[in-house]
Amino acid sequence: MRSSIALQVDNVSTYVGRTVLVNNATFDVKAGEIIGLIGPNGAGKTTIMKTILGLMKFKGKIEVNGKNVSENDHHALTKVGALIEHPAIYPFLTGMQNLTLYAHDQKDMANLISELQMDSYINNKAKGYSLGMKQKLGIAIALLNQPQVVILDEPMNGLDIESTIRVRKLIKRYSDQGTAFLISSHILSELQKVMTRVVLISGGQIILNKEVKEFEKISHQKYHLTTENNRLAKKIFAAYQITFTENENYLIVSQNDIYKIEDLLFNEGVHLKEILPLEANLERIVVDVLEKKRG
Amino acid sequence: MIYSIKQELYKLVHRKITWIAAIILFFLILITGFALADESKKLILTLTFDSSDFIMFILVIVGATCFSMEFQNNTILTLLYKSSNKIYVYLSKYIVLFLYDVFLHLLALFYTICLRYTIFNYQVNWSELYLYHQPVWLNMVTASLIDLVTTMLIIAIVFLLSCLINSSAIVITASLLITFMGQSISSDLMNGGKLVNIMKWNPFNMVDLTRQFGNYGMYVLTTHLNNQELLMGSLVYILIFVIAGYLIFRRKRF
Repeated sequence: MRSSIALQVDNVSTYVGRTVLVNNATFDVKAGEIIGLIGPNGAGKTTIMKTILGLMKFKGKIEVNGKNVSENDHHALTKVGALIEHPAIYPFLTGMQNLTLYAHDQKDMANLISELQMDSYINNKAKGYSLGMKQKLGIAIALLNQPQVVILDEPMNGLDIESTIRVRKLIKRYSDQGTAFLISSHILSELQKVMTRVVLISGGQIILNKEVKEFEKISHQKYHLTTENNRLAKKIFAAYQITFTENENYLIVSQNDIYKIEDLLFNEGVHLKEILPLEANLERIVVDVLEKKRG
Repeated sequence: MIYSIKQELYKLVHRKITWIAAIILFFLILITGFALADESKKLILTLTFDSSDFIMFILVIVGATCFSMEFQNNTILTLLYKSSNKIYVYLSKYIVLFLYDVFLHLLALFYTICLRYTIFNYQVNWSELYLYHQPVWLNMVTASLIDLVTTMLIIAIVFLLSCLINSSAIVITASLLITFMGQSISSDLMNGGKLVNIMKWNPFNMVDLTRQFGNYGMYVLTTHLNNQELLMGSLVYILIFVIAGYLIFRRKRF
């Protein structure tokens, strides 16, 4: 349903001079969705985020809650919160003053301070904050005023385990209330725990845009196979040109060949001992997809 | 726009330099009072103990760090996306600097009046006619109002330089050079003789507006413009520099 789309990026290309940094990016984020924006360094993740915030020159269309965003008109961004690159903090202000600068609702601000457990240092000058403290303050600034869209660039940078869990829970709670998130992170395992959709970007182009469940299916494309006679099984596979990878006690085969393998082994009288879908972690899948893209 | 101005005011009020500068201004005025013991007391009161140079110095430092702190702390991104238009970010900073400028001038007037009656105890009648056949008190107020224009011209140049150069140290140095050496640069430009009628309208010449108000006979020979012409020139250059600064700021990549 169109009305539930919080952020729409339609054929967006970002330029600096003649250099194209992002090329025809198209994706949308529905209310309550958490998009994981993944890609190697220099892929264009931060550029996309800056473009959405109207900070870069671009061609194409960006809409937040149905309202157009342009480089010189940010009216649509009233209900958008963001943390880009490093936390935007004035060192001569206290954490509380940094929040007050943007806060419209004192109660909302107090809730964020308590949920992120910043009470003990929130009245100290921000110049004395550690990296993690600054990061939490940056996240709090992004989440102020009940935003409808939140853009977080590497939000888990510098956070300890407890803070990471706290931030993750906060993101989930906001998303349950309908806030749409666009998050980039190098800590893929952390991103995997919250995101509902994956957008993979490489060389300024979006190469994959799938729901997490669909994306994870990619991990089941390889199977772990053990027979009572692996040596014979290998000979059969070679004869019928079935590709496989050999490991110590088992073989890895493609999902596409499973039925053919079962028939061949049955016909040759080789009994199957075990056949299991092989789980790959997110990191592995991302690397595989990127490698495939590069050829 | 009002929201952006409020944010800028909040930051300015919470910066130490804002208040330290106000205290330093007092001591500089006090020292000047002792240094100028032999000068005309009416002139000292008119020029509020030569406070225009000190105020200029303070404004250059505060103005130059106004943009550089945003670039250094990465806050420029938040500032830009949270404001509905880039021009509001630029103008709100300029307006807040103007308000600070007004505050510093009011403070200089206050310090002058306090010192006149206490430490220096000048026997000057405020209603006595002095420059331009006006009473001393009016000379003092007019000089302060004129200095507001001169200082805002310098701030417009500081803002333009801040958008061209990210380093606040270079911006401060360049701005101070323009402020205090503008007069000699302007004289050099007019040395040719034939082009005086054109070159007298150069922006460096306008920096002498306050000085000329206090000492017309001497400065008019250098500037070749009367007070009204200098005032008009300054206002036009403020407009040009503010627009040029904004156009650079708009194209700047963050």
